[in-house]
Amino acid sequence: MAQFSRYAQIVMGPAGSGKSTYCLIMQQHAGLLGKTIKIINLDPAAEIICYKPDLDIRKLVTLDDVMEETELGPNGGLVMALEYLLEHTDWLKETLDEFADDDYIIIDCPGQIELYTHMTIIKDFCKTMHELSYNICGIYTIDCTFISDASKFISASLMALSAMNQMEIPHVNVLTKCDLIKNKKELEDMLDTEPRDLLFDLPVYTTKFKNMSEKIANVLSDFNLVNYIPLDISDEETISAVMYQVDICIQYGETLEVYPKDNEDIEDDMEVDR
Amino acid sequence: MESKPHCIIVMGMAGSGKTTFVRKLYSVLKVMQKNVYSINLDPAIRKLGFPANLDICDTINYKKLMQEYSLGPNGAIVTALNLFATKFFEVIDLLNSKQGIEFIIIDTPGQIETFSWSASGSIITEALSSSFPTSMIYVVDSVRTVNPNSFMSNMLYASSLYYKNQLPIIVVFNKTDLQPAETCMNWMIDFESYMESLDGISSHSYLANLNRSLALVLDEFYQDLPCLGVSSLTGFGFENLLPNMQKSKQEYLTIYLPELEKKKKLIEESRVKQEIQKMKKDNEDLSEIRKFMSELRTSEKNNENST
Repeated sequence: MAQFSRYAQIVMGPAGSGKSTYCLIMQQHAGLLGKTIKIINLDPAAEIICYKPDLDIRKLVTLDDVMEETELGPNGGLVMALEYLLEHTDWLKETLDEFADDDYIIIDCPGQIELYTHMTIIKDFCKTMHELSYNICGIYTIDCTFISDASKFISASLMALSAMNQMEIPHVNVLTKCDLIKNKKELEDMLDTEPRDLLFDLPVYTTKFKNMSEKIANVLSDFNLVNYIPLDISDEETISAVMYQVDICIQYGETLEVYPKDNEDIEDDMEVDR
Repeated sequence: MESKPHCIIVMGMAGSGKTTFVRKLYSVLKVMQKNVYSINLDPAIRKLGFPANLDICDTINYKKLMQEYSLGPNGAIVTALNLFATKFFEVIDLLNSKQGIEFIIIDTPGQIETFSWSASGSIITEALSSSFPTSMIYVVDSVRTVNPNSFMSNMLYASSLYYKNQLPIIVVFNKTDLQPAETCMNWMIDFESYMESLDGISSHSYLANLNRSLALVLDEFYQDLPCLGVSSLTGFGFENLLPNMQKSKQEYLTIYLPELEKKKKLIEESRVKQEIQKMKKDNEDLSEIRKFMSELRTSEKNNENST
């Protein structure tokens, strides 16, 4: 198994959920703490990006190029562009090597869920990063204005799972756009409740709903998949909380070289010397 | 409600063959001489292939949208839907005014999340489902879902839609001319055979555990879930679709409609409550004013008397 020493986050989620904004905010926040974050853009169809990418797939290939050359539509073109990237990992490796060793990387992905469910492209991309000694955590962004009740909450979890279950990387769900909701307390209460209790409130349409709800609640609780972290870009604390959670997931910092000795160790050493 | 047209929202991942499916469904229904009203909600489509009574492309120019606002392909779809959703109640009124329609078929955008997880998609779905008996048809690409992981992801997405919209759902395995749907449909009945296929692929034991648990959740979803294999190209399987559609309309009327009525009642009750509160407050204010006025008059009289 490769020794992981470099760290990366790969940001996925439905179109319009705030992936690119997330990347920018994280980069800015880290900058304040003296940490460098480099952002990689993997969306060949992106038009205007709010951050300045340190590595941009559009420099290698753009959606327009692919669609012109091959007569594929936007979906086919997107897949082809990503496949092209995977065939040219040298280009990727070269640019990544230029980053400093302790640079943290955030990868901004295209929105299409088909890339995660039907194809192994993003999974293969993660494998490639693993081979380059990167420890990766998946971030799934969900627009919190959609999570208005328990059943939408479950629906969001199922959707995140459908994208992430094949990835084989740890993943964190980030609720974006929390600065837009007025009643934050309600959201907090929902996030603090155990999934089993949340589902208690669901109207029992059919026995099917009821049975499904119970089983889903069990899976979510047992596998600890309900780590939704709210992100309010106007509140520094929430930004730090997200960073912290992600860092735990990828064990950031555990391979740092300095190991402080405590007193007992030093005394033992001294004894041996005598 | 029962006599109202049955509204069918066709959803599925990009490339699953939704539009081809809608095309075939439209022609099958027409051959049976049903009165069908078709709506296209995909602004990015090039060739529709079926006559659309209402087409988002007629009101919104997708390419121009992308250029004028510098949007990417997804951004433009979402924006087009947003613009359309603001006028959607006019569409509902239009549909209500037409006599004799039996089916309303709706083709959604290729990118599934632009419809299923956007505000405009929710508005459109909710507007339709509160006015007409509505069902969802989820189209699956059989060729892709032969891979057990893709199958699971797809089914998870379908169950996520089921949860979010709380409407009857029919799962259609499309492209059976290329790949028969038997394997997938068998997985839905035989849990063990699915796990065997999955174990052949999963390398990680944590993942294998998670997938097993998820498969159990989905097992529940598969109970009584109408599903069938079709080929939108050859028309195979469409004869089974009609009875399933009829059943799901009944499901709507017997299960979802009462819940909807309950919700409407609750909303109406809370609105009435608010009105009553407001009236009470107005009355209180009014009696305060009356008291004040009468005190004023009393003191005026007293002043007059004393002079």
